[in-house]
Amino acid sequence: MDSNRKPKSVLDSVGEEIVRIITPVSICMLLVVILVSVLNNDSDSSGSSFPSIATYAYTENSSDSNWDKLKGALLNALVFVVVVTAVTFLLVLLFYFRCTKFLKYYMGFSSFLVLGFMGGEISLFLIGKFRVPIDCVTFGLSLFNFTVVGVLAVFMSKTAIIITQGYLVVIGVLVAYWFTLLPEWTTWVLLVAMALYDLAAVLLPGGPLRLLVELAISRDEDIPALVYEARPVINPDSVPRGAVVQRRVWRETRDNDLGSDENLDSTSNLNSTVNSGLESNSGLERLGDENERNGVDVEDGQVSRADSELAAPLIQHRINVRMNLQEGGSNDDFALEGIGLGSSGAIKLGLGDFIFYSVLVARAAMYDFMTVYACYLAIIAGLGITLMLLAFYQKALPALPVSVLLGVLFYLLTRLLLETFVVQCSMNLLMF
Amino acid sequence: MTVGAGIGYALLALGPSLSLFISVISKKPFLILTLLSSTLVWLMSLIVMSALWRAFLPLKTAAWWPYTILILTSVGFQEGLRILFWKVYKKLEDILDAFADRVSKPRLFMTDKMQIALAGGLGHGVAHAVFFCLGLLTPAFGPATYYVEKCSKIPFFLVSAIIALAFSTIHTFSMVIAFSGYEEGNKVDKCFAPVVHLIAAMLTLTNLAFGGCMIGIPLLYCVAIVTLVHCGKMAWRRLIESRSREGNLSNSQ
Repeated sequence: MDSNRKPKSVLDSVGEEIVRIITPVSICMLLVVILVSVLNNDSDSSGSSFPSIATYAYTENSSDSNWDKLKGALLNALVFVVVVTAVTFLLVLLFYFRCTKFLKYYMGFSSFLVLGFMGGEISLFLIGKFRVPIDCVTFGLSLFNFTVVGVLAVFMSKTAIIITQGYLVVIGVLVAYWFTLLPEWTTWVLLVAMALYDLAAVLLPGGPLRLLVELAISRDEDIPALVYEARPVINPDSVPRGAVVQRRVWRETRDNDLGSDENLDSTSNLNSTVNSGLESNSGLERLGDENERNGVDVEDGQVSRADSELAAPLIQHRINVRMNLQEGGSNDDFALEGIGLGSSGAIKLGLGDFIFYSVLVARAAMYDFMTVYACYLAIIAGLGITLMLLAFYQKALPALPVSVLLGVLFYLLTRLLLETFVVQCSMNLLMF
Repeated sequence: MTVGAGIGYALLALGPSLSLFISVISKKPFLILTLLSSTLVWLMSLIVMSALWRAFLPLKTAAWWPYTILILTSVGFQEGLRILFWKVYKKLEDILDAFADRVSKPRLFMTDKMQIALAGGLGHGVAHAVFFCLGLLTPAFGPATYYVEKCSKIPFFLVSAIIALAFSTIHTFSMVIAFSGYEEGNKVDKCFAPVVHLIAAMLTLTNLAFGGCMIGIPLLYCVAIVTLVHCGKMAWRRLIESRSREGNLSNSQ
């Protein structure tokens, strides 16, 4: 083999789609950790006076006993999950009555609120902290421009993909930051509760997300939702492969604006969670919807998308042809928003998953950085495991449970066991 | 001492690993996944060890033998995991080769296999640096610094960053040596990684004595340099052999 024409090895391209989804998740987590460490130097004091739907039942006080805090946190989480379930069912109902336009406009409106108000408040905190000299007119104008471009990027899919991806990550960062303002015990119990809810909603036969996906599939429509779509991998070799559509459905949806932790009233909370709910499709088949909740759509397929490239199958040795899906050509309808399917074989990850992963890591950051690294690795491992399970079971799976439960487990293990061990060794400069 | 100093310490421990990452690993997505999984494996081994030792900590004695046992058990466990890692890697290699056959691309080259071993080793090295050095670096971003009495000439953060750098190098390259040793069945290479790991960990025991870090750390760097040189020689030898083998093959065709 001459060194001049070294053939391309298989190692160059395997696993690329996974890395393309891990990168934005990592960037989102990194940004939230940086925001939290810069802005929250006093981790306990900021949580208690924060009114939101998630602290409706109980407001944590640092003088309560652990048992009281746990009970209060459980109550809070219960209220939250009940609200989310109700909203998701409302979403299913609205979708059933074909109010899709309303949902799309609502989605745009929520993005406007998140980017404008939440983004504005966080910018104000940062300006205050770093004493940036800026006047209100400039600030107002740039914030308005930023928000409008964001709404357009997210709402309409005609912008450059990097801008859409960037804005989705920013929305995820902003909502995750607001979640970290909740009290500590409530946050942890809420994360576990949401993971269990996701599991139930996607896998149980009566679950709202599953109903939503089935409705969408039976109607051949897409659900308006905020979903992050990774750039599809273009593999020139697979183009002549024919029109077989292979789909792997793993859906993660994200909660759009679940964190309306601002002083929005409960209806807007409901609406946002409705959007979120929409998103999680347990998508047995089509993916497509831009679901927000927990559904990661992985679509592989040879379908050509309206706007772009032909896609390459994801991990080829895992490709299965879905029986009841269309073969080949009729996928042009799916092209756009996606029902994902990434007709181009791109992985779609709901923004709610971004948000909850980042909340977990940011909460770990409020304790110490060692827990951050451990939780980050746990979440990425959970993401990888979910992808493998998806490829194995070939049906829609929720992405939140495995990662969140692993993350919480590693947080507890690190905080209780690892830290003493490592500190003891390092203080004596003993390393291995 | 300030944000600048904190970032400086972090880069000191992780700088070469970062450049290795950017130049070699970030180009191939599979290597990034290998790096993440080997970091996770190292973390899990650390958690298991800390679970085992939690009941005995914090060790209040100034004697050195409990620490010796601690180090022996930890190193033994990690070396055992290395063998497990190798077995998993063999299975993965088979899967990748089958996949390559299916898409009619060439099978894994030797350089590919060495790159996977490098990514695995780098994962271990980065995990070591992160958990033993970076995790404790948070106070370094503030206004003051901290000195350990046994090694009072330089700040604690600097010492731990320097040791972490040496260990990252050792972990990274001994994985390459170990994998090629297992593959070729070369006895020297197979035993090289555990022995070097043990020697390096024992050398850090000298830090328990007063002023011991003055001797321990330069010796640690000698070990790291020996690892680097041995790995370089081994890689060079294998590359030359495989090139001459292919030269013979193409000549005889």
